[in-house]
Amino acid sequence: MKRERRNRFGQAYGVTVLTPILPDRVSAIAAHLDTFGPEDASPLARVPGTHFARWVILDDVVYQGGRQRRDALKAPRLLFTSNFDGPLDAYLEALRTALGEDADAVWGHCVGYPGRTDAAAFAGWFRSHQVESALFFAAYGDQTVERVHANLAERTRLIEFAMAAQGLAPAELQARFRAEFPS
Amino acid sequence: MANVEGKATAITVVTPVRHGGRFLLALVFFIGRHVTATLEKLQTLSFIHYARWAVIRRFPDGDRGERLGHTYLFFESNFNGTWDQYIDAFSEVVPTRMKAIWGSSYGFPGPIPVEPFKDYIRKNEYVANHYWSAYPAATTTEILSAQRVADALEDFRRRSAQLEPEAFASAYRSLLTDVQRDL
Repeated sequence: MKRERRNRFGQAYGVTVLTPILPDRVSAIAAHLDTFGPEDASPLARVPGTHFARWVILDDVVYQGGRQRRDALKAPRLLFTSNFDGPLDAYLEALRTALGEDADAVWGHCVGYPGRTDAAAFAGWFRSHQVESALFFAAYGDQTVERVHANLAERTRLIEFAMAAQGLAPAELQARFRAEFPS
Repeated sequence: MANVEGKATAITVVTPVRHGGRFLLALVFFIGRHVTATLEKLQTLSFIHYARWAVIRRFPDGDRGERLGHTYLFFESNFNGTWDQYIDAFSEVVPTRMKAIWGSSYGFPGPIPVEPFKDYIRKNEYVANHYWSAYPAATTTEILSAQRVADALEDFRRRSAQLEPEAFASAYRSLLTDVQRDL
């Protein structure tokens, strides 16, 4: 895709996928998405490299009134977006393998979803429903999920160390520091 | 409401674009991608983790796509803080850019005053069915701070490896002074 780089910011990638929902399946998708819990109870916790992601059901586009001509989607759409550690191909494969049954339980209600047994078909279906970004912004696009977690943990450790090490004599301070932060 | 996960909030907005507006948007986003001022402005809004815009001419359907009567502008953001604080900040800090981006959408009242702008976003936003963050307890500021702390710590470890205790203690105090705003 020639405009692929518009979806990237540093090593971060933003994917936007809009898939048409099969007739009368909106409530089934919504019901399954409702079963997903927060944090580790979300299937997205199983997909490595995911920073932020969402599923949103778009029942229809919104009519603004006034001089706008009324528009309607042929079918409601399921939006999936993710902000993740690129590249896209590896991530689509991670989605397929890590979401497992949840992938089928959600996208199985969408038109043309090929299932997750065939990796190429799965990736192809996502790519053919991808919307390219016009502008993508990441505040720390150079940091992987792993790096974010590691940095936050390191910061916490330094804060705790600094509190505990107040008033220590130089030799003791140095010894404790090296024990806490081995190089 | 699935728009909130820990400290993170999701916003998803889709608006119809006036005829001819997509040419203006192409220019606005071209500038956004190539002139760093826009991205730097977003960086100064230090509570945005990831954000993206997309211009949808055809809703993808795996084939030629579904074309509606209008082009649609898609926006998503992942930020920390409340919805109201977020819209207030957009309205106050980057009103001209808001106008450039949404000015071609039907019904856009302008970013100032903020109340009609909020009503407009409310009318055109979709609530996520499921929203997930890999680090729901961390704000954007904390993540950027943690990166600076981790970098400084790494540098300090290298510099202090050969120091005698007195010099080490002195260097350690300098380290804490350097990073204290990020702790």
